[in-house]
Amino acid sequence: MSKNHLIGVFDDENALMAALHEVKAKGFEIWEVFTPYPMHEVIEAMGKKTRFTFAAFIYGFLGAAGVLAFMYYTAVIDWPINYGGKPTNAFPSFIVVTVVITILTVTLASLFTFSLRAKIYPGKAYILPDKRSTDDMFVMVFDKSVAKNAGSNLEDILREKGAIEVYEKELVTEI
Amino acid sequence: MDTKITLSKGYQYTTYVLMAVGAALIAYSFFTDHNRAWANLLLNNYMFLSIAIGASFFIALQYISQSGWSSMFKRIPEALMSYIPWAGIIMLLLYFGMHSIYHWTHEDALATDPIIQHKSPYLNIPFFFIRMVLFFIAWMVLTRLLRKASLAEDAHGGLGYFEKSEFYSKIHIFLLAITFSFATFDWIMSIDVHWFSTLFSLKNFVAAFYHGSATIVLIVIILHQKGYFKELNKSHLLDFSRYIFMLSIVWGYFAFSQFMLIWYGNIPEETEYFAHRWHSGFKVIFYVNFLINWFIPFVLLLPQALNKNINVLKYVAILLIAGQYLDLYEQIFPTVLHHVVFGLPEIGFFAGFAGLFLFIFGKALASAPLVPKNHPYLEESLHHHLH
Repeated sequence: MSKNHLIGVFDDENALMAALHEVKAKGFEIWEVFTPYPMHEVIEAMGKKTRFTFAAFIYGFLGAAGVLAFMYYTAVIDWPINYGGKPTNAFPSFIVVTVVITILTVTLASLFTFSLRAKIYPGKAYILPDKRSTDDMFVMVFDKSVAKNAGSNLEDILREKGAIEVYEKELVTEI
Repeated sequence: MDTKITLSKGYQYTTYVLMAVGAALIAYSFFTDHNRAWANLLLNNYMFLSIAIGASFFIALQYISQSGWSSMFKRIPEALMSYIPWAGIIMLLLYFGMHSIYHWTHEDALATDPIIQHKSPYLNIPFFFIRMVLFFIAWMVLTRLLRKASLAEDAHGGLGYFEKSEFYSKIHIFLLAITFSFATFDWIMSIDVHWFSTLFSLKNFVAAFYHGSATIVLIVIILHQKGYFKELNKSHLLDFSRYIFMLSIVWGYFAFSQFMLIWYGNIPEETEYFAHRWHSGFKVIFYVNFLINWFIPFVLLLPQALNKNINVLKYVAILLIAGQYLDLYEQIFPTVLHHVVFGLPEIGFFAGFAGLFLFIFGKALASAPLVPKNHPYLEESLHHHLH
């Protein structure tokens, strides 16, 4: 098998961001960026948008509405019981359950959405092009078949922008 | 960077006019209805004191958590803290209005009411004022030490002042937890002398922190729009809006917990508090209170598109200052006056106290450079950047 991926390793987040903007401007397609900690700028610079927060809001809204409707149905419509002389629609006491169930709904639904979207499941082998990205290095990975040379040399750009190492590697990205 | 802020003529005249109008209306309201006047005095003084206390808690929290991002704004909470001694003096005036506000000071009530008799070892006028003086001494000493360390740091530099401030902050937070809890019990909760709630002090402590933070945010934004704090960026705004968002949830949590437990328990000794607050016009205030102090900040600061927007944050902060007034109105007025009133005395007292507060705040802010000089985290704050 051939070495199908090009990997640039950076030891500084500012160098990584400079290189990222440069290769994007030159028209190269970045396959993935691995960083030791989450960086929102990377997502923004790669031109990717997430609708995840909106999805989480919808889950929360549906969870809250659903559990309130359920409690209203059980306590008021289907089986009204007089306890402590309170109205059957004991709304303030529903709130606590609503908050808890809303949190549970958002957490679980978001987890499953993320797993589906990112194609992550228990037992899946993790793709880690360069182990040092779990320590202190910032790693930018290009798929050589996609990142065609657009008139300039990709390796030179990465080195010029401060990559401490640029090498090619065989990666299995599809299972 | 060396800029000391100069108070504009407009600002100074505004504070004078507010104080003059306030003084006239305050005098008028003492002659017409002194019960109402004393309730207003307590409300406004406690409200601006709670903003000062909240600001001092904010600054102490930044020190003990060694937060870097906020260090360039720390003159704002420092200047807000300078109201505490004045609040102390005005609180002592309450001695002349005890009978108007506190039912437990009436001799005939003490003679016949077993609950008041039972509480009298704690709730009596001499001990009430001894406690008040002790609380104010504790707050004045610690805020003074924090301010002095901050100014000395400007002059001499070095890490020692930061470590000193961190040490004072630990003591301040510890003392504040105890003293402010008892202060709220004494000044606000004892108005309803038969009623008690252990969540009460926590709720009011959070409210002080919440509205103190909102005031800091408002002042920072106004100064930024006037050309100061040029380094204020989206990351600072996001941190500020997280503070308000987080505190809106905590405030809602405590306010609702206190209400829900009492509503659910349904014991007459406890529900009488909300019975007073649910008749006639007060019920509207009860709901509007939750709307302003929890729902609107929560919903407006939730979407990412809005929570970094400087104007959204500014108007939420303004709304929250009104929210603090409303929250205290709901706590003080139903028992003292039994019906909803809003008129010249309320406007006059608020104007007078706002003028005094702004006057003291402005003087304290102008007396030191707006941005501290030798704070160890200053560079981090000036180039604050969130990932």
